[in-house]
Amino acid sequence: MSATATASIASPKRPPVLRLGGWLSLPVRARSLVLGGILVVAILATGLATLTLGKLGIAPSNLLPTLLGQGEGRDEIVLTAFRGPRLVVGIAAGAALAVSGALFQTVTRNPLGSPDVIGLTSGASAGAAAFGLMWPGILPLPVGALVGAFVAMALVYVGTGTGFSSPSRMLLIGIGVSAMSLAFVQWVLVRAGREQATVLATYLNGSLAARDWDHAATIWTAIVVLIPSALLLSRRLQLVEMGDEQADALGARSTSARALSILVAIGLATAAVSVAGPVSFIALVAPQIARRLSRSAGPNILASALMGAFLLSLADLLTQQLPFDVTLPVGVLTAILGGIYLGYLLIAQWRKGTI
Amino acid sequence: MARVHSDTQGVASAGSRLAARNLRLAYDKRVVVDDLSIDLPDGGFTIIVGPNACGKSTLLKALSRTLSPQSGAVLLGGKPIDSYRSKAVARELAMLPQSPIAPEAITVRDLVGRGRYPHQGLLQQWSHADETAVAAALASTGCEELGERFVSELSGGQRQRVWIAMVLAQQTDLLLLDEPTTFLDIAHQFEVLELCAQLHVEGRTLVAVLHDLNQAARYATNLVVMKAGQIVAQGKPGEILTAALVEDVFGLPCVIIADPVTGTPMVVPQAGRAQR
Repeated sequence: MSATATASIASPKRPPVLRLGGWLSLPVRARSLVLGGILVVAILATGLATLTLGKLGIAPSNLLPTLLGQGEGRDEIVLTAFRGPRLVVGIAAGAALAVSGALFQTVTRNPLGSPDVIGLTSGASAGAAAFGLMWPGILPLPVGALVGAFVAMALVYVGTGTGFSSPSRMLLIGIGVSAMSLAFVQWVLVRAGREQATVLATYLNGSLAARDWDHAATIWTAIVVLIPSALLLSRRLQLVEMGDEQADALGARSTSARALSILVAIGLATAAVSVAGPVSFIALVAPQIARRLSRSAGPNILASALMGAFLLSLADLLTQQLPFDVTLPVGVLTAILGGIYLGYLLIAQWRKGTI
Repeated sequence: MARVHSDTQGVASAGSRLAARNLRLAYDKRVVVDDLSIDLPDGGFTIIVGPNACGKSTLLKALSRTLSPQSGAVLLGGKPIDSYRSKAVARELAMLPQSPIAPEAITVRDLVGRGRYPHQGLLQQWSHADETAVAAALASTGCEELGERFVSELSGGQRQRVWIAMVLAQQTDLLLLDEPTTFLDIAHQFEVLELCAQLHVEGRTLVAVLHDLNQAARYATNLVVMKAGQIVAQGKPGEILTAALVEDVFGLPCVIIADPVTGTPMVVPQAGRAQR
């Protein structure tokens, strides 16, 4: 075919490749595999701690029988009604937020691109505020949040004038939509009575308290459908990272890859928000940490998902077990930790001269 | 069509896998190129020159299908390029844009490997052919030593060689390069041009946009001169590059002398007012 195809130089360091007969060949990254393994273990450890620690905790010796459905009554209730669904929802919501962030960051080519910054999360808050306090009873809170998220994304889509094709416009309009949504939330809170406002405030910070198996089913359905879609898109997204023109020249059709990725990201983020409230910063932070640890380019979908699952379940464990004088919504904790990280990220970018 | 200084048909008869017919190219409503036709001779090194904003990069985008024309068509192997699947085009024709973005934390080998995308499938993500193509691309650009380095730590000249290696890994016979020498110092500019010339000698068809007329005249086998979205001259540099053409297209009074090294035409600007 080409003039130089004959030069078969054995590379000194062959990257390992998984080959099965002639039909399968996948490059394997040792570093990503190790990272994935460590994160799975870390998630399991967090889950174990969530189930066993504290006053309500299931005694470690009773854990296995309880998991197998042969536990005592009290342990059974803790597993099926309190800690179990909370843990299962937390893991999935963390993964969903993180993958959503990874997709947004890749298509905007900006580490600040995330459902938080782009207006989706605050849109969800505004939706929850509207249907929770303004017109209560029309829609359940999570569905209200879903509507809010979609309205916010529609505003961003129209506001850019070019749909979702220009990353920088998306970020700028997103920040505007985000500010408007939060102003709306404040207005609703001021109008509402104090008691109602307190109930809503817990939701608006993002909370995993009092989750049930319906929540778990919702978020896991989203995960099972959308994360494989994200994985399918990730090869084209790797090329979109190099610029739309280069991606198009390589046959990756950047416009459709971007549009589909944004749809998947919106789906994952709204699913997470509808079960856990607008938990902030997981979407922003998890993909960045995953990328730094795995040291590989591209959206790093699986590593981000595991990192997000770990971070949110860990944050929730901390809110349950740390001796705060009130029960803290998990979103407050992620906001504190994420805020510190965001500051670091901004300073790092500023030093590099990229902002 | 604008005035044509020399024969535009001269080289077109040799056979052209890539051609354009009556192209109208625009960004939204701003028309940049109107009713342009061109045949890019197979096995040639075509260099497109022209003043800023004359539409040369826009033309290259249309030829590589990264910009779709408002009317007219780009023909690849005689068929409209839009009738191919995107990956099929990318197996025939590679394009290096003016400023591609190197992803964060990517090694040279991984970046070059991305050029293999059009040859890969969902289950076939890293075949032996991919392996060989990447090694060959690194070798012919002199980047073997750089394979495990991060792209972000390379110099400008090395980085440009790596990008060229990436499009070479695509293993296409047609190679389109948009200003491959921009941002490089003069030594690295010639290094890149020599690399292009070598690829041309090995049998590939090259099309490049360049700014420097003297470099273009040295390396082009087919020079295309554009002005305001039109082709005003096309042919061998020695036959078409005249003082009258340069003054007409660039508005620069000049004399043309023979390059003391290669004998190709060399543009020497007339003294400006301050120098008299």
